[in-house]
Amino acid sequence: MRSSLTLLALGAALAIGAVNSPTALAVDKEQVIKDREALMKEQASDMGSVKGYLDDKADQAKATAAATDLIQTMGKLPDVFPPGTEGPGSDGKYAPKPEVWSDGKDFLAHRDTAAGKAEALLAAVKTGDKANIQTAFADLGKNGCGACHGKFREELKK
Amino acid sequence: MAAAPATENSAKSSRNKGGALAFSLLLLTASAAPAAEPDAVARGAYLAAAAGCEQCHTDADHGGQRYAGGRQLPSEFGTITTPNLTPDRATGIGGWSDADFSRAMRWGIAPDDSHYVPSFPFVFYNRLSERDLSDIKAFLGSLPAVSRPGLAGAGSTALLARARAAIAVVATPLPGPWQPDPAKDPIWNRGAYLVATIGRCGYCHTPRTLLGAPDADRFLAGTSAGPDGKKVPNITPDGKAGIGNWNEDDIVSLLTDGHTPDFDFVGGAMAEVIKNTSRLSEEDRRAIAVYLRSVPAKSSPEQK
Repeated sequence: MRSSLTLLALGAALAIGAVNSPTALAVDKEQVIKDREALMKEQASDMGSVKGYLDDKADQAKATAAATDLIQTMGKLPDVFPPGTEGPGSDGKYAPKPEVWSDGKDFLAHRDTAAGKAEALLAAVKTGDKANIQTAFADLGKNGCGACHGKFREELKK
Repeated sequence: MAAAPATENSAKSSRNKGGALAFSLLLLTASAAPAAEPDAVARGAYLAAAAGCEQCHTDADHGGQRYAGGRQLPSEFGTITTPNLTPDRATGIGGWSDADFSRAMRWGIAPDDSHYVPSFPFVFYNRLSERDLSDIKAFLGSLPAVSRPGLAGAGSTALLARARAAIAVVATPLPGPWQPDPAKDPIWNRGAYLVATIGRCGYCHTPRTLLGAPDADRFLAGTSAGPDGKKVPNITPDGKAGIGNWNEDDIVSLLTDGHTPDFDFVGGAMAEVIKNTSRLSEEDRRAIAVYLRSVPAKSSPEQK
């Protein structure tokens, strides 16, 4: 219940962000960065649920919901990277590279790739075939999430 | 038999536990059980795939053929053109003797006595067993010969880069084949061997001294100035600075799929490494995890 409320709040925040003017977005930079982190953590948790199913620690229904959520959150990715929201997350470990905006087309292409792999993961989860799921999970992780992190995420020096 | 995976798909076939385990044991005890010995080409293919030779020695961006080299590789020692490893006699290594190959792999010296820059990680291959070296050569010899005119064995010609490389190599201990520690479990020894040789974790994760040699006191302790000028994490079992709160399964998962315990998928240089480690057998990944959990924990200087 609580997590669905959080999701609802996140969704609302994203929706507001999407329709607002660039001026308002600039003002809301801090909020966007928070939303960005929340979205990434949500996706990480979804991947964790799928892995949990692979390891017999979560059931198929949970993995199906997680894979479905991955597809939905991939669609929201551009909303949490509006122009003018460069800068590190709360832990200061990572920041988006300038290429997110200077090479926005490629950024979206990476998103599309990841979204396609999330679709494939959902299809695999629905079959219940663990070998297929493992392959789709690794493919999304390495060639979806990891590929984008490699190209568009900066690891900051402390 | 299929105990020596060579491709991405092979992670599955390596679940053939009996075969893979026998295979791992064979690597440890080179003289054991000749009857069950998988063939040298297959063993070499497994090692070459896990070492990721192909990543540098294929000019994939320009449609180059596998292992035929030609990739322009920027490095701290200048830009190098990777050599052709296929058995073409004129432009590859088809004319090399076993001794030539061994000298190049262990000491970074080409048959024409020129020296490779340490982007070619011979300081790690220095520690490979004779048998693994000979199996890798057998595998490379089994590849289709590709003629790729151009630099075959040359590295950077920049004088400063050469000098720095030479100093770093002279300062780096090159003790030769890795010797197992009889007091430790076989799995620990296997992990230590993989980390010291084809895994070459220390290439990035161990900081260098001023001379460019790995700092033995800071083994795998990470650095804020890795080979690409990037921050490289501490992977010793320190609870705060390192990965002391990771268990064996967490490390195996990272090496398999590239995700941390909180399901962050690594990108960049480590993502390239995961391509290699995902080709290892499950047993070999676990051996690396067992070993990494055992190295001395080091705090990060900046966190003191």
